[in-house]
Amino acid sequence: MLFKPLDLSTALRPSLLPDETLLFVQDAVGLYEGKYKIPHYQDGHAYLTSHRVCYVAVEEPRKHSVAIDLKDIDRAEYQSPRVQNSAPVVKPSASALVNATWICPICTFSNPIPSNFDPFTATATNIPPCLTCGIKPPFTTVLKAAIAAAASSHEGTSINSTPLGGGQDTAQSLVSCPRCTFVNHPSLHECEICGASLSGLLETPNSNQHRAESPAPLIHLQGSIKNTEISDNIKLSFRGGGEKTFYERLKGALVQRKWLLYNAPPVPQQPSPNTALPTNGSVSTPARSPAPGIAGLEQRGLEARRNNEVVIGNAFEDLEALMASAKQIVTLAETLARESGMGDETSSETSAVLSESAAALGMVTTKDMLSSGSENLYLSELSRNLAEYLTDDTKGILQKEGGIISLIDLWALFNRSRNGVELVSPADFQKAAELWESLRLPVRLRRFKSGLLVVQRYDWSDEKTIQQLQDWLLELQQIPPAEPAPWDWRQFGRAITAQETAQRFKWSVGVAAEELEMAEDRGILCREEGIEGLRFWGNHITSHDLESSITNLVI
Amino acid sequence: MSNSTPFQFPPTYSFPPFFTPQPNSTTRLSQLQKWSLLIQSWCRHHRTYRLSLIEAIESPLFHNSTLRKRIPLSEARNILDWMAESEEKGGGGRRAEWVDGTNKTIAWVWWRRPEEWAGILADWVENTGQKNVVLTVYELVEGEATMSQEWHGMDVDVMMKSLNVLVKRGKAQVFGSEGQEGVKFF
Repeated sequence: MLFKPLDLSTALRPSLLPDETLLFVQDAVGLYEGKYKIPHYQDGHAYLTSHRVCYVAVEEPRKHSVAIDLKDIDRAEYQSPRVQNSAPVVKPSASALVNATWICPICTFSNPIPSNFDPFTATATNIPPCLTCGIKPPFTTVLKAAIAAAASSHEGTSINSTPLGGGQDTAQSLVSCPRCTFVNHPSLHECEICGASLSGLLETPNSNQHRAESPAPLIHLQGSIKNTEISDNIKLSFRGGGEKTFYERLKGALVQRKWLLYNAPPVPQQPSPNTALPTNGSVSTPARSPAPGIAGLEQRGLEARRNNEVVIGNAFEDLEALMASAKQIVTLAETLARESGMGDETSSETSAVLSESAAALGMVTTKDMLSSGSENLYLSELSRNLAEYLTDDTKGILQKEGGIISLIDLWALFNRSRNGVELVSPADFQKAAELWESLRLPVRLRRFKSGLLVVQRYDWSDEKTIQQLQDWLLELQQIPPAEPAPWDWRQFGRAITAQETAQRFKWSVGVAAEELEMAEDRGILCREEGIEGLRFWGNHITSHDLESSITNLVI
Repeated sequence: MSNSTPFQFPPTYSFPPFFTPQPNSTTRLSQLQKWSLLIQSWCRHHRTYRLSLIEAIESPLFHNSTLRKRIPLSEARNILDWMAESEEKGGGGRRAEWVDGTNKTIAWVWWRRPEEWAGILADWVENTGQKNVVLTVYELVEGEATMSQEWHGMDVDVMMKSLNVLVKRGKAQVFGSEGQEGVKFF
């Protein structure tokens, strides 16, 4: 097991891999290797994702952040009050299923699960019927059995390898069957009673001994622990609570094995016949009649619907089955969303961004992800989440809005991108936005004179805006106006409106109006109210060159 | 009496925002100062002492026909109100005064305040050796002897105000009935 280097996002959170989802966050976590504290890793955030356990220290997060792949974790233990991830034994998941069985609901016979059965790609079509009674089992029964076997295989080994009874010499060499618990002679490769494979269990005593001899901490005062090998186990010490939830979800994630989903195929295209197959063995694919024309199209539509029906039916039958089918369901939901969205041709660019980002926005913070009562952590995570959402270059929310967006617009955009679940309340949203400054995130909340709240980059200031406006006004003094102007345009330039300003700087009109009034407030601009509406000019009323000329006139 | 040369407007006069009341207080102050100076120089150029706002808002002073911009009556009143206020109270140094009190349609525009006129009159009397000479007010305003003086053709009411200042200082004495006043300088 390796401490892997961790990429952090702009908001100093782990940047997630494709398909990776955030499961839990907890602050005030310390990191131990074996019994020893790891220096610089004693106060930070622990992020549990579907693929990794990430650790980001509060101080110098870019330097002190590591990740451990879940696939490298052998097992997790709960140690009051600590969670312990113990030593790595990486095993391919296929071998874990070798001696798995499923129990026929009709005749209770233990059937072996086919060795090529993959719980994440299998469908109801390719399951063989019960060996004894010939009845095809429900898909979920097999699936559950396979998942349970995969999850318990490692735990089983460690439990079974412990010496039994008093006879030390003989007991150590005896092996108890993982299925029927019969104690077999060590030279046997299969259980005498039930025929389960024993081969994997014979090596465990050795590896166990070996592990006991080398618990030494390899890292003491090194600056970086990235890419270092962990010999025994690492501990996460939860000083701020939340360890129970973390443990539960970690166990859940280890069972679900989401990292295997990465290369999973999409929704199966072949429709599964609902009627029971006549005999086992020869699975006759339903003859797809190459019907031409509309009849063919209709038939294909019917098949697709039936296929979806099966997928949805299977998924909701059981929660664990749903988790296994998550990939398919998500694909299906996306297809449906795309189809339903097609009718709306007039959708603006922003809503296009929205629907894209809705799919891309994998890392959402929800109250559910955090232990109850940790309101502050929720807000700070939400705050980071928002900052990330805003500064993500692929979505370019801030760039599209000219570097400035009103908080209300952002709230609507953000909540819509959550697809209507786990919505953020306006109060929480504002509180989270107010945290940006103290968390030193690259965005800022700003209040205009009128009370309008806007979001902008941290390096944006009034001075910059004024500079931009002044440059523009100077530019206007060089260009003669389109229509002959009754005033001296070389001296006064011409008027600018909020609309023009919004267009030029790609701001929204509301923001542009506020920025212009801000500049007016600072005496940079002055206003002209006329039949054309409100227009702004460079402030030539207070400028001194004119003052002197008037004074000369009087004297 | 009015000059034959046209009035030369300052550059701000052709700046469109000049005709809109500015919300920024600093800008507003400059705006009022410039308006005050403009009104004073306009009145001096045309030898105007009482400014009728009703007429003035149609005149080029408050109506820039090239820009198609005008100062509405209410804003003109605000400007003159500001001019009438003393500088201590944040005004324009009493450069105007309402003739008709609360109606606010006609105002004195003091491009020279009565105190200043009084000083000028006293100097003129001194320089021309007319101390202890009795003059009629009509002579002072319309007489041939004052043709070259700035106050020639002055509003009689303004002249009376100025003379009253001298009376208070004990430098003149005014006598005679309404319309027939005479003045004696000491």
